[in-house]
Amino acid sequence: MELIQQIRDKARSLLEEGTVEGVIGYERASDGVTARPFFAYGPPAIERLIFDETCAHNLVKYLLDKKGKKMAVVVKPCDSRAINLLLNEGQIERDKVFIIGVGCPGMMETNWNHKSETLQAKCRSCQLSKPLVYDFLAGGELERQAEEENYSDITEAEAESVSTRREFWVEQFGRCIRCYACRQVCPGCYCPVCFAERLEPLWVGIRIAPEENELWQTIRSFHLAGRCIGCNECERVCPMDIPLSLLNRKLEKDVKELFAFQAGLDPEEQPPFATFKKEEKLEFGE
Amino acid sequence: MSLFASKDDLIRWLDSLLRDRIVIAPVRVQEQIMFQPVSKVEEIDFDFDNTTLSPKGWFLPPSETLFSVQRDDGQVELVPTLVEQDAVLFGLHPCDAKGIALMDKPFLQEPGDALYRERRGRTALIGLACRQVQPECFCTSMGSAPDDPSNVDILLTEVDDGYVVQVVTEKGKALLPQGLVEYKGKVPTPPELQAVPTREVTSAMRELFNDPYWEQLGDRCLHCNICAYVCPTCYCFDMRDYADKGKVERVRSWESCQSPGFSLTAGGYDPRTTKGERLRQRFYHKLLYFLEQFQDVACVGCGRCVRACPVNIDIREVISDLQRVMEAKSGS
Repeated sequence: MELIQQIRDKARSLLEEGTVEGVIGYERASDGVTARPFFAYGPPAIERLIFDETCAHNLVKYLLDKKGKKMAVVVKPCDSRAINLLLNEGQIERDKVFIIGVGCPGMMETNWNHKSETLQAKCRSCQLSKPLVYDFLAGGELERQAEEENYSDITEAEAESVSTRREFWVEQFGRCIRCYACRQVCPGCYCPVCFAERLEPLWVGIRIAPEENELWQTIRSFHLAGRCIGCNECERVCPMDIPLSLLNRKLEKDVKELFAFQAGLDPEEQPPFATFKKEEKLEFGE
Repeated sequence: MSLFASKDDLIRWLDSLLRDRIVIAPVRVQEQIMFQPVSKVEEIDFDFDNTTLSPKGWFLPPSETLFSVQRDDGQVELVPTLVEQDAVLFGLHPCDAKGIALMDKPFLQEPGDALYRERRGRTALIGLACRQVQPECFCTSMGSAPDDPSNVDILLTEVDDGYVVQVVTEKGKALLPQGLVEYKGKVPTPPELQAVPTREVTSAMRELFNDPYWEQLGDRCLHCNICAYVCPTCYCFDMRDYADKGKVERVRSWESCQSPGFSLTAGGYDPRTTKGERLRQRFYHKLLYFLEQFQDVACVGCGRCVRACPVNIDIREVISDLQRVMEAKSGS
C-alpha cells in the first residue's frame, strides 16, 4: 500500500505543480483482478492509480504517442530499458519525461480475470532491483533472488535439427492472425510506416497464411535484433500464444555473444547495428 | 418438437455427417479452442467455454482467393473460387449463431457476396446451448440468450445422459438421423447473466461523437486488430492482387478499422488520424451505423474482445460510460 501511496503522492504533486500534463500509470481493470494502463490528467484521477503484481504492461510505449508533451510515467525495472532504448534512438526527450520508477516484486502470469501465482518467466531471471533510470523511486530498491538467464531453452532449440525447428515454427506461425498486437505493444516498433504496410516496395502481402506470417514475424524479430529490451510484451499480448520470446531471446543471445551488447542498459552506448568500425571491414568472400 | 440423442447417438450422427460433408467443430489447438474442419469425431472438444476466434472465419476466412486469372492464347479468363462441398458448423453457441445472422446482413444483401452466399447456403448450423456462462458474457443484453435457438438450424442442449435436439429449420430437419425419440423430460433452465443496461446508448451516441471521451479512451488503445479479429461480427476486409510467376489472383484478407492504413485514401488524406478517432469508429460502427443500416447492433455479447483486449477496453464499460456521460451532460 505504501508503494501505491508514494506513486499517488508523487503523481498528485507533479500534476498540481504543473510539472507534467499527465501521468501514465495503472488502474484496476474491469475484471476487478488485473490492471490496465491509466492516464491521469488531474488530481481527482489520482486515487485510481494502483501498483501490484498484475501491472505487466510496459507503459513506455505510450510516451511515443505523447511526444512534445511533458508526461510522467510509472516504470518498472524492465521497462526502464525501453526508456534507455528510446533515448538512445532519439525518440524521446529526457527532459520531457518524468520517470516514476518502482521497485518491482515481479509480475504474475495473468489471464483476463485470473491471476496465477506463477511469476512471469522474464521476471524469474530479471537481474534488476530497481529501474536503470528514474526521477523518483517509489517503494525503494528491492532485494531480488533472480535465477541466472542461461538461455537453456534457446540452447535446447538450437540443438534441434533444421527440419524440426522449421516444423515447429511453421505450426506456430500458422496460427498467427496478423493482428499486429506484437508490433503495436512493442516500445521498439515505432516506424512511421511499418514495412508490413508498405506497398512500394512490397515486402510482405496481406495474406493471413503461414508463408506470409512467417515473413512478417521473421522481419519483425530481426528488426529488433540488438534492440529488443526483453519486456516480452509481444508474447504476453499475442492472442494466439505464439512463443515470440524464443525468437527475441535467440537474437538477444546472439547479439550478446557477438557484440557483448544488451539493448537498453545504457542510453549512451551505441547499439551494434547503428555503428560501424573500420576494423570490421571484411574482404570479399570472407 | 424436441428429440433426444444419447451421447453415443450424437457421435454416430456426427460420424455419418462426416461421410458426405465437411464438419467444422471446436478443436483444442495448444491453448486455444478453434473452429476447424475435423476428420473424425474424436477431435471435437465438446466441453469448451468459448472458442478463441468466432466461427465467422468459415464464411469469411482470414484470407481467401476470390478469383484467379487464366491466360490462354491471348484470352483472359477470370476463374472464380468455387465452394464445392456441403458443410456443417457444429457446436456454435447462440451468440456466435447470432453473429452469423448479423454477418448475413451486409453479405447477403443484394447483389450479395458470391463466395459468402455459397458457403452460407451450403452450411448447416448445429448450435449448442450454453451450460455455463463466463464473467465476460452478456448475450442477453444484445438480443440473444444462452438457449436462443433463433439463428441455428438445430439446437442441442446438454442434459444428464445426452442432448435435447431442437429442430429449428427445414435445413436442420434434413440433417436428422433416423431413430431419435421424442424428448419428454425437462429442458434445463439457462444460466443467468449480468445485464448491461443499453436503453439510452443509441441516443447518447448520436450526441457524443465529438466528446473528449473518445480521445481519453483512445489513450490506452494499442490499435492492434485483436478485437476485430476475435469478433463474430466485424467483417471489414482488404483486397490485393497477387502476381507471381504468371499466376495472378485476387486475395481478400481480414482488415480492421484500428489498422494504420485503414482509412488512408489515395492522395494521402486520412479522415481518422488520432487514436480516439480510430477507436471511436469501432464503437460507432457496432452500436450506431450498423443499427441504422441493418436495424440491429453489431455486437452479440460473446465477450471475446473483453477477454482478449491487452489493455482492457471493455465494450460493456463503454456502453455504460456513454450513457453516464450523456446523463451528466443533460443534467448540467
